[in-house]
This record gives sequence, C-alpha cells and structure tokens, in this order.
Amino acid sequence: MTYTRKPLLFIAFLTLFAGACKNDEENVAPTDDNEAITTATLTLTNKAVPTEIVTATIDNLNTTADFSKATLTLKANTTYTGVVTLLDKTKTPVLDATAEIREKANEHLFVYTPSTGLNLTATLTDRDTNPAPGPYPIGLTTEMKTGAASSGKLKLVLRHQPDTKNGTATPGTSDLDTDFTIVIQ
Amino acid sequence: MGSLNRISILLGLWVATGSGCLAQSSTCTGVLKGQILGQENREPLVGATLYVRELKTGAVADSAGYFQLGQLCPGNYTIDFQFVGYKVTTQSIVIRQEPLVRLNPVLLMPDNQTLQEVVVTEHRSEAQQLLQTQVSLSGAALDQTRGQSLGESLKALTGLYAIQSGPSISKPVIHGLYSNRIIILNNGIRQEDQQWGSEHAPQVDQFLASRLTVIKGAASIRYGSDAIGGVILVEPSAMPTRPGIQAEVNLVGATNGGMGVVSGLVEGAFDKKFAGLSWRLQGTLKRSGYVKTPNYYLENTSYHENNFSGDLHYDHKNFGVELFYSQFDTKVGLFTGAQVGSLADLYTAISRSEPLVQPNFSYALNRPYQAVQHDLFKGRAHLHLPKGGTLTATVARQQNTRREYDFVSFSGITTPELYLKLVTHTADLVWEHAPIKAEARGRAGQWSGSVGFNGITQGNVRQYLFLIPNFRNYGAGLFAIERYAVGRLTLEGGLRYDYRWLRAYFLDEVTKQTYFTTHNWQNANGSLGIAYQLRPDLTLTGNVSTAWRAPNVADLYSNGLHQSAVAYERGNPNLRPEQALNSNLVLAYAGKRLSGEIGVYNNRIENYIYLKPDSVPIVRQRGAFPSYTYNQVRATFRGVDATLTYKFTDQLAFTTKNSLLFAYNQTDHDYLVFIPANRSDNTLRYDWDRWGKFAKPYLSVTGLYVSRQNRAPSVTTRQENGAVIFTGDFAPPPPAYFLLGAEVGFQTQLGKQPMSVILSGTNLANVAYRDYLNRFRYFADEPGCNIMLKVKLPLAFPKRS
Repeated sequence: MTYTRKPLLFIAFLTLFAGACKNDEENVAPTDDNEAITTATLTLTNKAVPTEIVTATIDNLNTTADFSKATLTLKANTTYTGVVTLLDKTKTPVLDATAEIREKANEHLFVYTPSTGLNLTATLTDRDTNPAPGPYPIGLTTEMKTGAASSGKLKLVLRHQPDTKNGTATPGTSDLDTDFTIVIQ
Repeated sequence: MGSLNRISILLGLWVATGSGCLAQSSTCTGVLKGQILGQENREPLVGATLYVRELKTGAVADSAGYFQLGQLCPGNYTIDFQFVGYKVTTQSIVIRQEPLVRLNPVLLMPDNQTLQEVVVTEHRSEAQQLLQTQVSLSGAALDQTRGQSLGESLKALTGLYAIQSGPSISKPVIHGLYSNRIIILNNGIRQEDQQWGSEHAPQVDQFLASRLTVIKGAASIRYGSDAIGGVILVEPSAMPTRPGIQAEVNLVGATNGGMGVVSGLVEGAFDKKFAGLSWRLQGTLKRSGYVKTPNYYLENTSYHENNFSGDLHYDHKNFGVELFYSQFDTKVGLFTGAQVGSLADLYTAISRSEPLVQPNFSYALNRPYQAVQHDLFKGRAHLHLPKGGTLTATVARQQNTRREYDFVSFSGITTPELYLKLVTHTADLVWEHAPIKAEARGRAGQWSGSVGFNGITQGNVRQYLFLIPNFRNYGAGLFAIERYAVGRLTLEGGLRYDYRWLRAYFLDEVTKQTYFTTHNWQNANGSLGIAYQLRPDLTLTGNVSTAWRAPNVADLYSNGLHQSAVAYERGNPNLRPEQALNSNLVLAYAGKRLSGEIGVYNNRIENYIYLKPDSVPIVRQRGAFPSYTYNQVRATFRGVDATLTYKFTDQLAFTTKNSLLFAYNQTDHDYLVFIPANRSDNTLRYDWDRWGKFAKPYLSVTGLYVSRQNRAPSVTTRQENGAVIFTGDFAPPPPAYFLLGAEVGFQTQLGKQPMSVILSGTNLANVAYRDYLNRFRYFADEPGCNIMLKVKLPLAFPKRS
C-alpha cells in the first residue's frame, strides 16, 4: 500500500517543481520612469528686439547630463522674457512635461537662482490660481534683466509642493535641480 | 463590588506608574523537569514525549529519560506523556511562581494491543531538534505582542532588534544581521519576499504563529545557505485531534494610529469514518491611521493588512499529508515627510526639528505607498517507514508581488514606479532515522539524526524603474546532522553542501536585445555543538558553525536611484560569497529564586557585503546624490545576551534583558553603519492568584533603555561641485532614550467561555525620541504614548458523544 503510494507522491512533487519554470524572466521590460525629465530648455527673447532669441538646452538629465548646449550668451543691461520647457524623451511620443506642470500649476514652483557675481535678476511673471493668500508665481515664464558683463551659473529648481505651496521654495520636494551657464557680455 | 474596587485600584496603580514605555516581558520563566520511565523495569524511555495541551507544545526525553520544559507561565496544565508501545499517561500540574518544578518519575504502562506510533514531530518545535542557541515567544508572552508586526514582536527577545522605515515597516535583526542573512521559516517554508530591501518587511501574519522561535547564530546546516545571522521560525499550533470544532477570536485596539485588528480562527477534527482528518481557517484584518509622535502626526503612515489561510491535515497510521495555503496582502503608507526629491531636500529636512507638514489625524493612505501580496501554497507528506525513521517531503510555491508607488509630481500617472514579481518553488526531502541505542562506558547513549535535500528555484520579473534585474536561480543543498546523547552530555555535528546558480537578464538600451550573465557558487559547511548539564540547575551549551551566503541579485546588479534612501546604489558583479564562522556559548541557570541565561557570541564574516560610499556623487535630474557601491570586508559581530529573573517573593519578580553588540569592519578599521545600539529592558511584575472573578491578574512596569550608538562611522562633510556631501551617514546617531511601559492582564469568563484581557501602555511618558535603526530618523520622532487593549476569546464547540 504505502510502497505504491510513495513513488506516486514523489512524481507529483517533481511535476509541481518542474512546472515552476515558465521563464517569464527572459522577457525583459524596458526601464520606464513615470516622471523622467530628460531635457530642460531655457529660451530668452530680447524684449526690445523680439527677433533676438537665445536658447540653451540640457539633455540626458535622467542619465549623464549633456551640458554642451547649456550656455546662454546674453547682452549686458538688457531685459529678456524667459520661457522654460521640460521634455521627457523616454516616452513615445515625447512628453511635454511643461504642459502637465501648467495644468497642476497650483502645486509647482520654478526657482531661479543666479550664482554670486552673475549680474542677472529673474522675476517670475506668471501666476497660479491658488486661493488667498495666493495666487503665487509659477515660473514657467520669467523676466530676466542683465547688468554689467559677468558670467556664472543660473540654477533652475522645480519644486513640487502639493497642498503646501506658499510662494516660497521651502515646502515640498525637488523634481528638477540643474544649472545653466550664463555669459553676459 | 469588591472586584470593581480592585479594578479601580489596579487602573490607578497603572496610571500612577505613568511615564515611559517599552516592550513587555513576563514572568513565564518556570521550568518543569522530570523523568519518563517504563513501568515494567524502570528503564528510561529515550525519546518519550510530553505534550502540554494548553500550550500545544512539549519536550522530548533525553537518553536518560530526563526532560526539561522552559518558559512556563504560572497556571494549570494538562500534560500527556507518551511513547511508542506505551499507554498515554495524563497528569495535571500547577505551576506557581517557583522557578523550578520537579515531577516524580512518570511511569508509562506498556500497551501491547495498539503498537501505534505517535507523531512526536508535530508537538515539538522544529528548532528543538537542533542544539543551537535559541529563544522563543509563545503562550502568554506571545499574546502580549499581538497586534504588532513580526519584526516588532520579536524585539521582546534578547539579541533581537528591528530596522524600521517609519512606524509601519519593521524588519527583524538578529545579532546585528538582517535581510538576506537571516531566514524566516513561515510554517516550515523559507519565506522569499524580496527580503534584500531594507524597507521590505517580512510578509508574515503574526497571528498565524502560536510560537516564534529564533535560532541565534549561523544555522545554515539545516535551513540552507544564507542563514549566517540566524533563523526565525513562525510555527502555527498543532492541528486539533479531538473531534469537534474550536474557534478563537483576537481583538486588538490601539489609541495611537487608531489601530484596530481582528483575527480569528476556526478549526476542527473529525472522528469515525474521517478520523485523522483536521482543518483550520484563519484570517486577520488590520487597519491603522496616521501615527502620532508626542508633538505631531506623521502624514500618510496608515496601514492596511488583510490575511487569510487554510490548512488541511490527514493522518492515518504511518503516514500523513498536509495542504496549506495562505495569502498576505498589505498596503503600507510611507511617511510623506521622509520623501525627498534631492540631496538638498534631505539636508533641509534634517535641519528641521519637526516635519514641515503636520496634518490632523486621518486614515487616508496615498502615494507614496507599498502594496505587497504574498501567496504561499504548501504540500507536505510524511511517512513512518516500517524499518524505522520518518521520511518527510515538502513542496511549496510562493508568489510575491510588490508594487511601490512614489509621489508623482506632474504626470498624474496611476502605475507604480516599481513592480517586482518573485515566484519561488522549494522542495525538501528529509529522512529522520530512528534512534539508535549505543553503549558508552556502561551507560546507555543514543544516536539520532537526519539527512536531507533542499531544492529551490526562483524567477523574478521587474517592470517600470530598474532596481534589480529579472533573474532565474537554482539552488540545491544536501545535509546530514547527527546527535549523540549520553548521560548529561549531548553532542551534535552537521555537514552541508550547497550549489547555487544565478542568471540575470538585462535589456540593451540601444539594440533592444536581451542579454544575460550567469554565476554559480558551491560551498561546504559544518557545525559542531555540545550541551552539558553541569548541575541539575545549570546547563552549558556551546556551538561552532560555519555558514555562507552567495551574493544575491541586489548585491550584484542593483543599479539605480534609491529615491527613498536618497542614494544611488550600484551592484558589484565581482562579489564573492560571504563566509561566516560563528561561535557561541550559553550558560543557563534555573534556581529557586534566580533563573536566566547568559550567552556570548562571536560571528566573523569574511567578504561581508555592504554599501560603501563612493568618493564622487552622481548627478541626475534632481541634483547630486551620494553614490554607493557594494563592497566586501572582513566584519566581526560580537556580543552578549543576558536574561535574568529574580523572584523576591512568589508574587513579585524582576526580569532584566540585556543585549550588547560590538560590530567592526576589520578591513578598514572602522565601525559598520546601521548596527543596533546596546539595550536593557527591565520589568517588575506582580502576580496575584485571583481577584474575585478575575483569574491570574498581573501588573507589570517596564523600563527600556537604549543607549546612543557611539560605535558608528563618523559623519564627515566635504564640498563637491558646490554641493555638500556627507560620508558615513547623513546625521550622527540620535541620543540615548528611556521609555516606560506598563501592563495589566487577567483572565475571566464571558458567559461560559474563558477570555483573556491585556491592557498595555507604551511610551507612557510621551517622550520624544529617535532610534538609530529607523531609516526615517532624519525626519521625525518615534511614536508617542500608545495604549493597547488585547482581548483573546477562545470558543469551543465540543462534539456531543
């Protein structure tokens, strides 16, 4: 009795064990970041001469950033209007993150910080729809005034501040933190 | 009336003690000793068993027929003494406050009519078959921890700690080792739930266990490679044998977090035509909201858990089969204040004394959170061979599905950031040979032992972000353990051989082609143990063992930004296996007033794998992140575990539990990061016999002292591309802390059913403190005062005959 049952049991176990390997692991899914920002572009237009446009782009932000086109050469004592564009090129089609940030403007803030010695001031010119004591600036559009010739970095930080936006950079977390090179001449 | 007054006095006392908090301990330290002899010639019955019905546990008689059963709470017990070919003898005993109870020799009558074999393996902890340092939590001591996670409840034992990620994620730590260096055996099956992650808590329902046993130290021989730190056995109670249906309901409520837990089980056994068939259904529901520190709520620290399991056993003459299925389903909210996008955010958060956002209480559970489901199916069969010995075959399939959801900033996406599905199949075959009698210097000795095979294969599939690759692995192990017991001496030796094979699959981002890398390792290990009874009340146990752990896929190939850890972690494909040499010595004493045990250990690990900070930080879209690469050093873990109980009177007892640990990186002559600080847990407990309608009431006050971890790598800072980079750690270890707790418990009747009630308070002084082993210690305090009520209601529906 027991001797006939034993091998049967063991065969059953072996079958279970062997049936284990479906090899799903051999199909590798590509790496997919829900919220990658690969590209940040800053476009500045001379207010006095609207045909005069300067653009700088940082690419591959999500891996090893490419700063080769990240320099903006500006004129001294000039006022520019600035527009920032963020793209996620890992998605097909390429995703325009700026459009999504505009939709959720009430919880986002761009912070522009010129390095010491760089004669540049950035003023945020757009407003969200946060209730009082809002609205607060967003920073998708800016006005940048240059002073005397100088050079340095312009730090661009995107803060995500859900339910905590108060017009300052303090609350929330950073979704983007990178530097453009500025040359004022 | 009288009892009402007593309650108010008791509550008054309890409230008056109000300040402090801590893990509870009890005076369940009674030891029962005795000898089992055959009635006909008074020969010792080697391997005879006793089984305590109330505790569903027991012990086995040694080569001289002596047995010892520890950790008994005061109370009345019914004990069955049994041995193959003898009639079962039942005795009722009363354990009071005395530390040692000696029974008169128990004489068993031969039973010539039914030479029926008794299944003893079911009645003793699996771990008791091993001569190794172990501690366990069962009965009343386990009831005191109900409602807590597995990791938290084990902290009641010396040498055990927990690594936390906020209040809801707790991973057990044995003698400073955790994750893949310890094995959790859930109902006999090696739990495989992506345990490499320091924020991945074990997916085990604590209510499933009627006993939690921890083997401290390398226990690779029996349980497989990897167990260089120890093994945690989660063992359910034995299946019912008496016909009828029984049930048990556990209710736990806590003030902090508004936690509520309901756990229940129904079980039964059949007779007549279906004799030998038994079943059990069990389930747990747990909900908790935002946890409160003394000064603020921790946003999004809500917790959901839904578990169920079913068990079916059939035992017939010389064979038995078991089918078991369990599902563990959890959703764990992560403290939003600990979510940082960048290193700059982390520094800002560390510099704040309190989280910026301090919401009101809520049960809301939003991103960031983890949703994990663990399914286990197990089949086991055993056969008592006609020529002696027992053959046990076990197969199991586990599926662990983990989804981790981060904050989403702008996309409004609903998919997780991380998805991992791990399917594990295990198969074990163990042959335990029948005891062999042997003569040594005129005394009857006995050989016992087992040989076995363990097989495992795993397949892992990932999606979304890359943290660890897809992989397939195979592992096979062969072991043999033999024990020789003669007189007061027991010796044990074990040998094991393991083979591991791992293939990791990757996608080439450019060609979109899959490629793989393959590793294989093999290793042989051994262990040697000795136990000697110096005096009837004094036992010395020693053990030396080697163990190894092959690098796991996270050690080898993790490559990604660990956002919650604010670290970029890089695997190292050139890692070699860790090799441990573990020795320990334990002296146990069971005197009339004083009892306890002192153990020392030394665990030397060659090629200890750890994350070493790189010199250059890595820059990503969210700025600079410190980067770490897996590296290997020689590490030592040395320590002392001491538990002592002194009974001032039969009612009043003082228990002290102390865990000291000294870990060191011998290669770099530095301390290791994340090593538990020394701790001392002291309890004063008073037991009464009875208060009116309340049986066995007790009151205890506990003080837990955890020292500052002064043996941590020094925190240094330097400038790197304008960013401040910390090495060693982000912040120095937090100061020492002292917590006060108190507990009252009693048993009473609810109608005709018995009911046990425990009311406990932790951190009663509402002290604001931080713990070095909490990964969120940079951001917020630990939970404040918490009052918990635990009610256990066993229900019996005996079959009318």
